Amino acid sequence: MTSIQMPQLGETIVEGTILKWLKHEGDAVVRDEALFEISTDKVDTEVPSPVAGTVTKILVDEGATVPVGTIVMEVAEEGAPAVAAAPVAPAPAGAAAADAPPAPAAEPVGVVVASSIPAPAAPVSQPAHVAASVPDRGPRSQILSPLVRRLAREHSLDLGQIAGTGTGGRITKNDVLAVIASGGTTAAPAVVTATAPDLGTAEPAAPPAAAAQPIQLGVGDEAVPMTHIRRAIAEHMLASTQATARAWTLVEVNVDHLVRLRERVKDDFERKHGVKLTYLPMVVRATVDALQAFPDVNARLDGENIVRHRLVNMGIAVSYDAGLIVPVIKGVDGMNTVGVARAIADLAARARAHQLTPDEVQGATFTITNPGPYGSVASVPIINQPNVGILSFDAIVKRAVVVDDAIAIRSMVNISMSWDHRVIDGELATRFLARVRQNLETWDFAEDLGL
Amino acid sequence: MSTQTVESGAAGHGAEPRGKRDDDGQATYLIAIAEALWEEMERDERVYMLGEDIGVYGGAFKVTEGFIDRFGPDRVMDTPIAEETIVGMAVGSAMEGLRPVAEFQYADFMSSGFDEITTVLSRYHYRAGVPLPVVLRAPSGGGVRASSFHSINPEPWYAYAGGIKIMCPAFPSDAKGLLKSAVRDDNPSMFLEHKWIYRRIKEQVPTEPDFLVPISSAAVKREGTDVSVITYGAMVHKALEAAESLAQRGVSAEVVDLRTVYPYDEETVLRSIEKTAHALVLYESYRFLGIGSEVAAMIAEKAFEHLDAPVVRLAPPNVPVPFSPPLEDAFLPQVADIEAAVDRLAAW
Amino acid sequence: MATKLEPDAAPSGRPLTDDRLKEIYYYLALGRYFDERMEALYRQGRLPGAIYSGRGQEGTHVGVAFALEPDDSLFPTHRDLTAQLTKGLDLNRVMAQFWGRIDGYLRGRDGNSHIGDWYGHRTYAVMSHLPIAYPVAVGAALAYQRKGERRVAMAICGDGATSNGRWHEAINTSAVFRLPVVWVVNNNQFAYSTPNAKEFAVPTIAERAAAYGIPGVRVDGADVLEVYAAAQEAVDRARDGGGPTLIESVSLRWRGHAGHDPAKYVPRELLEHYMLSKDPVKNFETYLREQGVATDDDIDAITARIEREFDEGFAFAQASPFPEPGDVTKGWWVEDGYWTSDPGRGGGTETG
Repeated sequence: MTSIQMPQLGETIVEGTILKWLKHEGDAVVRDEALFEISTDKVDTEVPSPVAGTVTKILVDEGATVPVGTIVMEVAEEGAPAVAAAPVAPAPAGAAAADAPPAPAAEPVGVVVASSIPAPAAPVSQPAHVAASVPDRGPRSQILSPLVRRLAREHSLDLGQIAGTGTGGRITKNDVLAVIASGGTTAAPAVVTATAPDLGTAEPAAPPAAAAQPIQLGVGDEAVPMTHIRRAIAEHMLASTQATARAWTLVEVNVDHLVRLRERVKDDFERKHGVKLTYLPMVVRATVDALQAFPDVNARLDGENIVRHRLVNMGIAVSYDAGLIVPVIKGVDGMNTVGVARAIADLAARARAHQLTPDEVQGATFTITNPGPYGSVASVPIINQPNVGILSFDAIVKRAVVVDDAIAIRSMVNISMSWDHRVIDGELATRFLARVRQNLETWDFAEDLGL
Repeated sequence: MSTQTVESGAAGHGAEPRGKRDDDGQATYLIAIAEALWEEMERDERVYMLGEDIGVYGGAFKVTEGFIDRFGPDRVMDTPIAEETIVGMAVGSAMEGLRPVAEFQYADFMSSGFDEITTVLSRYHYRAGVPLPVVLRAPSGGGVRASSFHSINPEPWYAYAGGIKIMCPAFPSDAKGLLKSAVRDDNPSMFLEHKWIYRRIKEQVPTEPDFLVPISSAAVKREGTDVSVITYGAMVHKALEAAESLAQRGVSAEVVDLRTVYPYDEETVLRSIEKTAHALVLYESYRFLGIGSEVAAMIAEKAFEHLDAPVVRLAPPNVPVPFSPPLEDAFLPQVADIEAAVDRLAAW
Repeated sequence: MATKLEPDAAPSGRPLTDDRLKEIYYYLALGRYFDERMEALYRQGRLPGAIYSGRGQEGTHVGVAFALEPDDSLFPTHRDLTAQLTKGLDLNRVMAQFWGRIDGYLRGRDGNSHIGDWYGHRTYAVMSHLPIAYPVAVGAALAYQRKGERRVAMAICGDGATSNGRWHEAINTSAVFRLPVVWVVNNNQFAYSTPNAKEFAVPTIAERAAAYGIPGVRVDGADVLEVYAAAQEAVDRARDGGGPTLIESVSLRWRGHAGHDPAKYVPRELLEHYMLSKDPVKNFETYLREQGVATDDDIDAITARIEREFDEGFAFAQASPFPEPGDVTKGWWVEDGYWTSDPGRGGGTETG
């Protein structure tokens, strides 16, 4: 059984009118014999039969207008059973005139929104054309779109306090709008001043103004935009350098006995306390004592007043993937060496996992940095605002030193401090460091290790 | 010139285009265009039409069927197959006070007159101050299995020339109002009639003789809040269909129809982006150097702080329009592609 | 060497009185003088842009343009400046154009001989893609026919341009519709460096007219009156509804294609022959003297007038300011009003 369709004679034709049936039910037809006359917007013509056979059914009246692809007649082929078969799918190259272009299925005319032309019997294939180019990133909580940044700036919002519900944790426009609508969480002032909040607190809501000039790149150069952590570090460091009258003093410390002590007990220590024993807790303890002896070093400048802190909160500079962060051991003056060791290990681990709370990265009254493991023998650190000093504990190195007028090999370390000359003077700074040295050289830490 | 008696159209119509509206008074895009031409020819004697097979035959797409009976062969002029000269004639006669509307049988053949269009028509007023009230019109666009010589979207080529106002309406009323505006405008215009739309889309079209749609004004065809789809031509209909489907899933897409692609309405585009913060620029000419490339760059430049995601383009690849149906369907952005692009954008 | 093919009507037009003959001489001499002085300025580095010499072809340029009425239109090329001057363009404004000044015809938007003055003298602003103005001439002629006006369009191109498709399209279309247009080919025998024999395979350009069904005539460009007679006949035929004519006027290009081109491809003997015996300006001066139309005093007075006008034009151009730089983006659209208002007169007048 062959179904005869209304052909599409012209790319834009969507319907045709049967002008006249030339063959009727029961008539015999030979191939290419004209079956009916049609009229379309472009042309009137006859439609020939694709097969030889007998007309079994006429489905449309003369004068009727039907969409392209409509089955209008059925013809039983010679030798084929006169049984209605499944209608031919409206595929191209249907039973239309031999020269007609392929006839896709027609949509009903009159619908303002037209549907697309379906592919003939094929599953929807993957589009070959290049589609949208939306980037696909990993952890996206750091990504701030221009709109989000602007809204935060205009409403003085602390983006660090906003949870992102977008893909990968991204803060979206709607997240920010929701905060604005609910009255918002605002943060420390958006502008970074000389007394900026400690490094590691909420990212500044206003990134520094973008340079008006385009970036000049040499051949092979690559421009990588700063992360907001990096920007925060940059602002803090610059502000600190500009605000303080920074001076620096260094002392050499003989830690030979500490090295031998540690060698002897470190395995037991780790087994008993669950954390590694490094020199840093010992340095912290030695420094705490010095801070208590010289309270002007455990202070900050507030206008024209030197505010001496009663407690010691020790900031420990930790290097991690995003840059630098300074978690704070609160109340370190009440801890022994084991306690300090545990506190350092815990804070460092959580710092690297991005799990510190805002409370744990502010409130330091003094800061220690320990670049020694990376190999430096002397460093000039930048003061962690608003402290008066920052102590650097560098690498322990075996050196030839003079002991009792003879050359001896001793484990030596340089301990230095950058300090704010607005608040203290060189004599005080040196005496402070001398105290730290004395503590490290004379204390018996063994009894403080809980072994 | 002797007049010939003309059989009124092969399809038995031949009367004024308005007589071809359906029983509900709706006009297809094609009929709306014919009405615009008819009305402007009636309104102003200086308006005349020239092109291949537009007179006696009534035009390859039958847009001008019946016109020669009413207006005569001088004003519905059949020309030799000489596209450079068709454009040149339009320019020269416009310089001497006539208002020509030149038809190209397919937009693809405009490139046979490329020099006259881009060197003469586009530049003459800038150089020498003589207005050229010329309209070039042609059927453009694909999706009809007509392959690469009958499916082009040529607007980037001619927008680049400058000095020609280029219109790509998507709806019958817009087509009628814009074409009437183009005929009345004293600048050169190019009116691209998307052939896929010709007989597929119809609506109630105004009948007032002075119904005009302003050139260089875009229209929001569907309001939305989540993503702006900036588009024109046949893609508007695909975008609307995608928007309907997206709405079922709770994604609200706004569809902005540029209507005129050069110079285009930046304001309407920017207002939409300000509302949704997401921009998908959808167009049917090749992705590289399309009208949409310009629009995307403008959005990134002027609406930077309103964007919650990158500006994204969706357009066919830079290959000649293929013939075989699966190839052409893969070539053109489909409704599913638009939906997927909007989804990706909303989830960015 | 006039080869006339199928002339249609006898020449008419206004009689050539002595005054009109002297007017012809004035334009010939003006064209020559202008060409020589501008070349000198160019070689001195005082003329920006390019020059396209029409020297030796003045007979063609003056001959055809002189047959046009004021409201006939002319579609010339960059080499046909003398034809535009014959049509009546103002030398001051022509020179301002060469120096890119605001008072030039195109307000600095184009330079050197890409000149046109549509509203003043119905000449089309020259464009480089030759013969791109031919199809436009078809359009102007169509408008005259449509409106029933007794006006004629005339287009000039060179021998090289006859190889371009547009040339054939335009002539063919004009013939099909029997339009009032005159097609002039200034055959100076070289298209840049390409001689006629390498440009087309037929012996003459005029005989190609038969292929389009229009009359064609070949005239000696050294004889301005022969050119004028053919042009007047063609213009009359067009004006009377007889359709287009093709006129091939043969001369030699004495200088290179442009100022930078030394034209070594022109055979020396040919050039010498033309300069000695086929100089349209000299020949016509001799003719006027022999016919008693012009005396020494007449010739001297014309020469003095030309020299004075050139110097005035040069001074006018130098004193005219440059266009306002900020106006560079204006004038695309009619509605921005740039061309229907007085232009901004920018700063500075460099000396040329």
